[in-house]
Order: sequence, then C-alpha cells, then structure tokens
Amino acid sequence: MTAAAFPRNPAARRWNIGSILLMVLTLICAAIWFFPIYWALLTSIRTDDEAVRAGFSLWTSHPTLGGYLYVIQHSNIARWYLNSTITSVAITVLVVFMAACCGYAISQLRFPGRTLLWWVILASFMVPVQALIVNHFIIIAKVNLLNTYPGIILPMLLSPVTVIVYKQFFDGLPREFREAAVMDGATELQLLFRVFIPMNWGVTTALAIITFIGAWNSFLWPFLATKTEDMMTVTVGITEVQDAFGVAYARVLAGAVMAGLPVALAYLLFQRKVTQAITLSAGIKG
Amino acid sequence: MASVELNSITKTFGAVEVIRGLNLKVEDGSFCALLGPSGCGKSTLLRMIAGLETVTDGSVQIGGTDVTYEVPAKRRVAMVFQNYALYPHLTVAQNICFSLSLAGVSKASQKEQGDRVAKLLQLEDLMGRRPAELSGGQRQRVAIGRALVRNPEVFLFDEPLSNLDALLRVQMRLELAKLHNELKTTMIYVTHDQVEAMTLADKIVVLDKGRISQSGTPLELYNAPANRFVAGFIGSPAMNFLDGSADADAGGAALTVTLAGNRPVTLPRRAAAAFAAGGKVQIGIRPEHVQLCDPSDSAATLQGKTTVVEQLGNTTFVYVDTASGQMIVEAEGGRQIAPGTAVGLRIDGARVHLFDATGAAWPALG
Repeated sequence: MTAAAFPRNPAARRWNIGSILLMVLTLICAAIWFFPIYWALLTSIRTDDEAVRAGFSLWTSHPTLGGYLYVIQHSNIARWYLNSTITSVAITVLVVFMAACCGYAISQLRFPGRTLLWWVILASFMVPVQALIVNHFIIIAKVNLLNTYPGIILPMLLSPVTVIVYKQFFDGLPREFREAAVMDGATELQLLFRVFIPMNWGVTTALAIITFIGAWNSFLWPFLATKTEDMMTVTVGITEVQDAFGVAYARVLAGAVMAGLPVALAYLLFQRKVTQAITLSAGIKG
Repeated sequence: MASVELNSITKTFGAVEVIRGLNLKVEDGSFCALLGPSGCGKSTLLRMIAGLETVTDGSVQIGGTDVTYEVPAKRRVAMVFQNYALYPHLTVAQNICFSLSLAGVSKASQKEQGDRVAKLLQLEDLMGRRPAELSGGQRQRVAIGRALVRNPEVFLFDEPLSNLDALLRVQMRLELAKLHNELKTTMIYVTHDQVEAMTLADKIVVLDKGRISQSGTPLELYNAPANRFVAGFIGSPAMNFLDGSADADAGGAALTVTLAGNRPVTLPRRAAAAFAAGGKVQIGIRPEHVQLCDPSDSAATLQGKTTVVEQLGNTTFVYVDTASGQMIVEAEGGRQIAPGTAVGLRIDGARVHLFDATGAAWPALG
C-alpha cells in the first residue's frame, strides 16, 4: 500500500482525530481501572515500612516477597484455598447442572404450572441476594448447617440468570433435533445430556466459568455462614490476615492478591468464554 | 415392512381443525406421497403417523397394530426431516448409530450396523466427519442412514429434498427411488413438489384443507383429476382453465361448451343432466394438449397474442393472452416465436377436462 492509496479528505481526518481522542480516553479509563490493581500488587511487594511511608512513588526500590511468605507461613491460607476450591467447584457443578435441567424443563416440557414457574424465576431476578440473606441465615442455622460446606454452598445455588440463559438457548434449537432423538427412543435425560447440553457446550463452559468466578469471589454469605477459621473461604480468610496483622498493608494486600490469583488465572485462560458469559447474562439483565 | 392405516383421523389445534376425519390406507411396501400446498395438513398427518403429534380423534394402525397412543420410538417407524436434524457435535458414524447407542447396543454391533448402512449409502469415506463438513446431499444421505440403521417397518420423509439445489434434488430423487426398490419398505413422503411425488410415488394422496382431495397412481391423478384443485395442482406448467357455459345435453354424443367470445368447444358426452342450459362450467386443458396454429385457421378454437416465450431446449412454453384469459401452450423445442405474435389455438376436445360450478370433474362417458 502506498500513501496515494489513501486520499486525504477532511472527513477522514476528522474521523482519525476522533478515533485518537477515543483511544486516549479509553487508555485513561483503563489506567483508572488498573491503578488499584497495580497499587495492590506494588504494595504487596513492598516492605511494611515503605508501604506506610509518606510520599507517592509508582515503584519500589526494594521489592520483596516478604508479605507473601508471611501470609503463607503465618495464616491458614492453604486451608482457605481448599475451602474455596471445594465450595466453588461444588457450586459451579450444581448450579450448571440444576440450571440446565430447569432451563430444559421450562423450554422443552409441557407441564401444569410451567408458565408460573417461569414467571417466578424471572421475578426472582428482582430480589437482590442481600434481601434474602437474613432468611438464608435463619434457615441454614435452623437446620444446623452453619459453618459447614453444605451451609456455604446451598444458598449460593440460586442462579436465575443461568436458568434463563439455558432456556433461551434451548428455545433456539430447531425442534427437529428433539424430535429426531425422540424417534430414536431418547428419554428426557438422554435428550438433555446427549443432545441439548453437548449442542450448547460453549454456553455451558461460559456459564461454568462465570459461576466459578462468582462463587470464588463471593464474600457476604461465606462470611456469615462460617464461624471458625478452618471453614473460611479465602475471601473471608484474608480479613483474618488484616485482623491478625493490624495495619500491615503489604501482608494484607499479599493475601488479597493470593485470593484473587486463581480467578485472574481463570480469566486469562478462558478470557473469550468469560466475555461470552458476561455478554449472555448482561443481555438477560439488560 | 408394514401397511399404515389411518381411520377417521382428526386433528385440531385449539379451534382450528387441520385434519378432518381422514381415512387412508398405505399398502405394505408401497411408496406413498402426501402432496398438497402449504398448510394443507400433510406434515401434521405425517407427524401423527410418527407419533410426534397426538391424534385428536380416530386411530393410527401400523402393520395391523393400533399405535394411536404409542410413543414414537415403539412404532417401528423412522423419519427423515427436512433440515436433516443431524447432531453437529457428533460424527457421521455417531449420528448414524445414535439410536443404537441410546438403546445400549454394543460398540462392535454399532460399528457393524453403521458400516452396513454406510456401504448402502456410499458414506464409508465420510464416517469420521462432522455434519458441518458435509455437502447438502451428503447430509441428506446421513439423515437417511440414521433412519435406515433402525430397520424400520415404515419410513417417513418430511420434505427431505427441499433444502437441496435443483440438480442435487434430481440426483437424490433417483437415489431414493433406488433405495425403495432395494428395500421394498413402506415409505410415506411429504412434499409440495408434484414432480417429486409423480416421479417417486406409486400412490399419491393430494390433500386440500385437511381432507383428501384425491388419491391414486400418478397417472390416474394426471389423466383423470377428480376436481379442479387436483387438476391445477398436478402437472407443470399447470392446467389451463377457461370459463364457459354448457349447452344442455339433449342426449346426443357430444356436449358443447361456449367460451368467452362465443367460441364453442365440443367435448365427448358427459354423464347426467348436471349441466343445465347456460350453466356455468370450467374447462381444463393441459398445455401439451393445446396446439399453436395460424390465427386464420378454421380449426382454431381461440385466437390470441403471445406474451412470453420460454425456451427450455427440449420444449417451449408459450404464454398466450386470449379473450378467455391467459393460456400456456407447450410447443416443440426450438420453436421460434416472438412475443406479440398473433396465434390461433387448437384445443382437442377429447383431451378437455370439464368441471362444474363446485369444481367437481365430469369425465367423459365411455
């Protein structure tokens, strides 16, 4: 390509200036978004003295992993990781399984109360989790499940968005796929697990990843549902780091970085799927 | 193999009655085409035989067994869908053997039966591919293979060729005909394409608004349509229809119909005194039974002007505007005639179909 291939005209120039301005604005927004993460990473590799020292510096002259080592050696973080892994994996598997079953039933089966059930699921959207959390606490306490894995997991299985996304995708499949399988003798379970879910595998993967990230990052319910340090998830556990070490910012932020690391890795590995899942659920919420 | 019998079948969707007390018997081993325009109920009928739609009233028998309330998988029928319904996440082999896999048939047996079907349909080289990697014709063959592997007693086809291009459709038509000759299994084939029905079926059932308008062999329907609907539906290009009035049959050997512009057409005598003097009738004449002639020819029944000439090589279709309406004439291939040319049309009275005011056909006597 030569310069002659792109004739100059005022409209093109205006568009270019506009795009440059947009790019600068985008970069500023990205910097504003990224700065707290950078600051947390930076503080986590500073010494405690440097972290509270007056003045402003965007780099540290003496990077150290002391904060990380301290958290690893003097906290229960391995146990919290394990708890987070167990609860997040369980929540992910159960939410995806139940939402797929529910979405399939509402989309494909005809039964009394189907429309009512669908409206209830849609309406449950409008109730924020915070409004239900006292009820959840009372119920879980009454069945003696506080400070147990089931106690952490059960209230987090409510995910109307996942049901709605599945229903929409199942609705979109041509009916011939179902009918062909019915002619072949498929049961409803075979239809779900051998036709509908495999045909929407991309959606399932995306929903599983976003559910896992949500479960891993959740704080409020695990905070209320756990009483002892050995049952805490990593997001709750890092508050103990703060309590134990007072204002030792380097250690606190090292703990926070370690808590967020699996999610960050998951995001990096499955970036496209996560974006897809966010788009899907945003479309529903829209 | 099995016969299919529908007894007083009725199907309603809410207040809409789409099939009305229909009776039909498809003989064991025959190839029956359900033909009709969109919305006539032919697909609904097929789906009721398959068990994919419930029957509002009446009964369905397959091989002498009442299957009206039987689930689709137990009716011993297999269906090929219009859009193939191949599972995109499975390979050709897995698609073909899907029903066997659901039934828990061993892998070895699945492979054996899959290979048998693949050989029959020449799919051996495609077994590892996924549907997205196949052409339309190949997908159609896989869909047939999936039906074939179940060894059904009845094959149901729901417009299976309508997604294919014209050339491939002809090729697949031929393959279906060969398959039927080879398997001798009862086949019921839904189509709105009368050429497919005429070429494939040994029995055609023409449906109109949920009722059987006529059933019979392709040539019976072509040569002796029972009513104006069938006469207009069977044949391409469609039959020409001209309004006229019948002269009272005084017991002679012929009946005269006077067309617009006082043009008389003499037909062989019809039954009964159904046609009162001056009674409104329609005559129907197929394009190949009209001959172009000089407008001054004394044998010309009608005169008109050509409007469009379609040359297909082996034949020529000439559209002619006459005082009685537009006519299509099939002339010999390579006939050179310009649009706007004045022509005469000779109508062979012996080939004319006669319809009364209700649309019912009145065949010639004797």
